[in-house]
Amino acid sequence: MPDATLAPGGTADLVADERARSAELARRADSRRQLLQNAGVAVPFLIVLVLGLTVVPHFASGSNITNMLVNAAILAIVGYGMTLVIAVRGIDLSVGSAQALAACVAASAVNSAGPLVGALVGIAVGAGLGLANGLVVTQLRVPGFIATLSTMSVFRGLVLLFTGGAPIMIASTSFKSVATASLLGIPVPFLVAVLLGAAAWFAFDRMRFGKHVVAVGGSPEAAVDTGISVNRVVLLSYLVSGAAAGIGGVLLASQLGVVNGSVAAGLELQAIAIVVLGGTSMAGGRPRVVGTFVAALLLSMINSGLNLLNVPSFYQYVALGALLVFALSIDGAQRAAVRRMLEGRLS
Amino acid sequence: MTTTATTPAPVPVQDERPRVAEVLKQFAGRQYLLGVLVVLCVAVGLARPAFWGSGNLSNVLFQASFVGLAACGMTMLIASGLLDLSVGGTIAVASIAVAKVLPSTTIGAAVLLALVIGAVLGLVNGLLVTYVKIAPFIATLGTLYLFLGAAFIWTDGKVVPISSSNYRAFTTGELGPLPVPFVVFVVLAVVTYLVLQRTYFGRTLRAFGSNERAAVLAGLPVNRTKVAVFVVAGICFALSGVFMAGRLSSAEGNMAMGFEMDVIAAVVVGGTALRGGRGTAFGTVVGALLFAVLANALNLLGVASYWQYVLTGAVLVAAIAVGARRSSAAEVRGAG
Repeated sequence: MPDATLAPGGTADLVADERARSAELARRADSRRQLLQNAGVAVPFLIVLVLGLTVVPHFASGSNITNMLVNAAILAIVGYGMTLVIAVRGIDLSVGSAQALAACVAASAVNSAGPLVGALVGIAVGAGLGLANGLVVTQLRVPGFIATLSTMSVFRGLVLLFTGGAPIMIASTSFKSVATASLLGIPVPFLVAVLLGAAAWFAFDRMRFGKHVVAVGGSPEAAVDTGISVNRVVLLSYLVSGAAAGIGGVLLASQLGVVNGSVAAGLELQAIAIVVLGGTSMAGGRPRVVGTFVAALLLSMINSGLNLLNVPSFYQYVALGALLVFALSIDGAQRAAVRRMLEGRLS
Repeated sequence: MTTTATTPAPVPVQDERPRVAEVLKQFAGRQYLLGVLVVLCVAVGLARPAFWGSGNLSNVLFQASFVGLAACGMTMLIASGLLDLSVGGTIAVASIAVAKVLPSTTIGAAVLLALVIGAVLGLVNGLLVTYVKIAPFIATLGTLYLFLGAAFIWTDGKVVPISSSNYRAFTTGELGPLPVPFVVFVVLAVVTYLVLQRTYFGRTLRAFGSNERAAVLAGLPVNRTKVAVFVVAGICFALSGVFMAGRLSSAEGNMAMGFEMDVIAAVVVGGTALRGGRGTAFGTVVGALLFAVLANALNLLGVASYWQYVLTGAVLVAAIAVGARRSSAAEVRGAG
């Protein structure tokens, strides 16, 4: 900032004016960004909801709603972790493989040691894999996307080795009933997702950790200068992402009842899509948990709608790819709008 | 780079073009990888003499050339600081196109169609990255699924057989002792080297690969070149698909699932730095051979094929970690 040194006493008013003007600009840019962010997820959500209710048969039937809520819950939980990682300018492409490994290990632990131990083991496996990602990124200084691209392959190999390519049946009915049980008519996984979402929102918005995340995502160099341990924040983010994938994996195992080494393939794309669609900027520094949650519901509605319409599953690939590109374009447009606004007036 | 960084002697003023001696010196600096390859070959040969059987060797060369052909395009992309994860999708669509039109057209027309499709898909990626301004790895992750979806829809999820025996003979034939795809791969690698080092296009892409802002300020046609690199890479991927379809005698949507990992690993292990600015076609050739030999060795030793996933990922991370460590050491030396 070349303000004080370049402006001798007489121009102090001018500087103050300029400050006020740029603050006003920043505020308006921010509100425009907020608008784009909210519209980016709310408008498609409403369109898909209305379309689903009017066009798709059995869309609002009880079993379909339960199904959608459970799927959205699993997706949203993974999405929270991804939100955090993207907010610190990272990316976690290994969530699908991590979830598969957590689900398979959890399934075999449930069979040998009971449901509760199985669930804890699954979450711990996820956290351990996340920790491995974090260590590779922070200690070996490998860029996040390539590190997690590699671990995606490694974890997938490990889960296939673990299962030997064969499916694992879960015998415990109490474990399997977790995903299908409901409390006050709301499926338990969905409640878990809401609770975890509230916790994530609290951590990002009200705790020091959240401020650190925003600082690191906004400008890692500045965060270092402020005395924040960037490595620790990044490491924790990957750890949380892995643990979230683990929780999702346990719920998935509970929902499916039978898991194999190839479950959750392509999950990373869905997770990234909902996070970006929810308004978390790829540029970092803006975690938006609520957006992620709404976008998870949206994606789950799209998938279930396409299923009910008997659209071949190949089209879901296309829908997902298109949705991701759409979300990223909105993200890009929003950044461009803000930049134009700030640069157009000031320079 | 490595050799110049380790010698503290003052760097002599150079001509614009690297001299032959300089090239050889750089070349020698990379020999350790070739050494690893030779040691690996000898070790595998000792453990399993079947490795040196001509059938097995040509198998290795086939594998290396499928990865290598795509890796030539990826080398240019990575040298320009970009990345393409949609390799598997592009290969699938291009191969399916070949398989679909072969019964009714000539081989030349079918191959040409595949290359055009590769170029178009590359163009899509390029436009998304440059003009919609989406980060390359995530834009191409999206298009990977778009292309795969298109491939599945086109084939209804079925396998499309290639019945033309001429096509199979052309793509899997041998030129002297070497398989045709391998010869094409070597030629393409030489072309890649020349393009990267000796052309305006190559210089431009290396320039914005190492510092995009500086390249823009210098007035280089950055956006146009970026799109062109994606198009060229798309053509390379399609070429790989052309040969792969011939080898498999068929094409299907998931014929190249996860192929992007192998390709990126070959390029990065070969010594092309992931942050852009430099590319080594020779390293890519060695990298592709290295992974082909490694996979073959695992097969010969009877290791479960799942280990290949683990090994490829681990080798990739290790290669980048070593590269990051070495380059950071060089930076510190340069600053001090």
